[in-house]
Amino acid sequence: MIRTEWRTSSPRPVAVVWLDRSDKKNAMTPAMLDDLSSALAAAAERAAAIVLVGAGSTFCAGFDLTLCKDNADALRQLLIGLSRTIRLMREVSVPVVIGAQGAAIAGGCALLAGADVVVTHSECRLGYPVVRLGISPAVNAPFLARSVGHGHTREKLLGGRIFDGREAIVCGLAHELAPTPEQVPGLAMVIADRLAVKPRSGIAATKAWLNELDGCDGWAERALSASLALVGTSEERERLAALRG
Amino acid sequence: MHEPATLTITAPIATLTLSRPEARNALSIDLLQAMHARIDELTHRIAFSSDVHVVILTGAGKSFCAGMDLKQVLDTPGAPLQLLTLLSTFTVKLRMLGAVTIAAVNGAAIGGGCGLATVCDLAITHADSKMGFPEVDLGVCPAVVAPWLVRKIGAGRARAILLRGGLMSGREALAAGIVNECVETLDELDTAVQRLATRLAVGGPNALRATKVLLNELDGSLDAAMANRGAEISAGVLATPEAQAMLRAKLG
Repeated sequence: MIRTEWRTSSPRPVAVVWLDRSDKKNAMTPAMLDDLSSALAAAAERAAAIVLVGAGSTFCAGFDLTLCKDNADALRQLLIGLSRTIRLMREVSVPVVIGAQGAAIAGGCALLAGADVVVTHSECRLGYPVVRLGISPAVNAPFLARSVGHGHTREKLLGGRIFDGREAIVCGLAHELAPTPEQVPGLAMVIADRLAVKPRSGIAATKAWLNELDGCDGWAERALSASLALVGTSEERERLAALRG
Repeated sequence: MHEPATLTITAPIATLTLSRPEARNALSIDLLQAMHARIDELTHRIAFSSDVHVVILTGAGKSFCAGMDLKQVLDTPGAPLQLLTLLSTFTVKLRMLGAVTIAAVNGAAIGGGCGLATVCDLAITHADSKMGFPEVDLGVCPAVVAPWLVRKIGAGRARAILLRGGLMSGREALAAGIVNECVETLDELDTAVQRLATRLAVGGPNALRATKVLLNELDGSLDAAMANRGAEISAGVLATPEAQAMLRAKLG
């Protein structure tokens, strides 16, 4: 469900990590997030830049909630895995570029706040519609707040509204629009190629300093705890159980 | 001797001009020392006669500021850190001025030069100016300017811009939030800057100052230790063999 390819056209090694469960809109399972973390860590060993993209028409529909309806522990594992993956994207010394086409919802959208550069398209559907399921998106809040500011973060996490790629550019969550959904992964790869040829010392020092400046890694554990605290509560269990499908 | 930074005051507006046009106002040790002297005069004047409410920062000639004059310091041990610390301490003084600051970006504002524009409360440019932070393309790290860019446009946008390097047009700088206004041509810039300065100068000086002080506290602008740490990080990267080789190749 996670697959790593290496760019053959790039002069420096660029790893392309695919979310590859397109029949389920790349909805994430605990195992998939474990594999994603491992793939990112392995790629960082020799890549000069990393691309994260989704196979098929949807970047990522979020957590596979069908696994969580009768199993609170699966939801716990998903939240822990998501937190680890976002932190890892920031910790690696090379730039991480995400290309998100179609939709990036909930946990899928949370991944975006961990990347250094985000490519999408104007009609892409994005958002964090999870409070209505009794799930707290707190796990992503420190990263989103640093990325788009506190005003946008409040509105997007508390309101849970779906917004489009144009709005993602305006609020600063995304940085580049591809003309069509199909061109999103390709554009993300081209941007990664350009980042990969830049001198390593400057890039690594700049990324580390930006991580230190925005200081959100220090909040990651607390944010995860806030999300985990709701898992297994009657509100969360009842709302997930009532979910169709 | 030709003064590399000049200060002209027509109360309530003061103009601080980088005046090293033969080097595109690149930040040399001499220029930065002169900028420190001028801003100290200005700080003193604002504190004691409080007749200056708006300060315009601009460049003489075709450029605003081409960035750090690294060629000058590359072969002298300790000089890069001195140069970068002069910049970082200047940025803090500029931010702490008890007057509203406007960067009139008349031409290229590159690296540390774009950083100066970012430190100002407001910035205006024209559509064709070249702005940006190409440090990573040269193997160096824009650590002094990073905290200011993060404060101005947010950490997410700053991350993408600083890691991607390169340059942008004035119009793109407006879209990114680095400047607050972009006129079509250079000819229109002076008028736009004067219009903005005059409008700002109408505000109650105490209200302007109190608002600025609070904004500085809110966004952590007064953290001089962070600014100086930026200078150390930048100097550290400059000293790496990779950066040295690239800069020598580039600067000749």
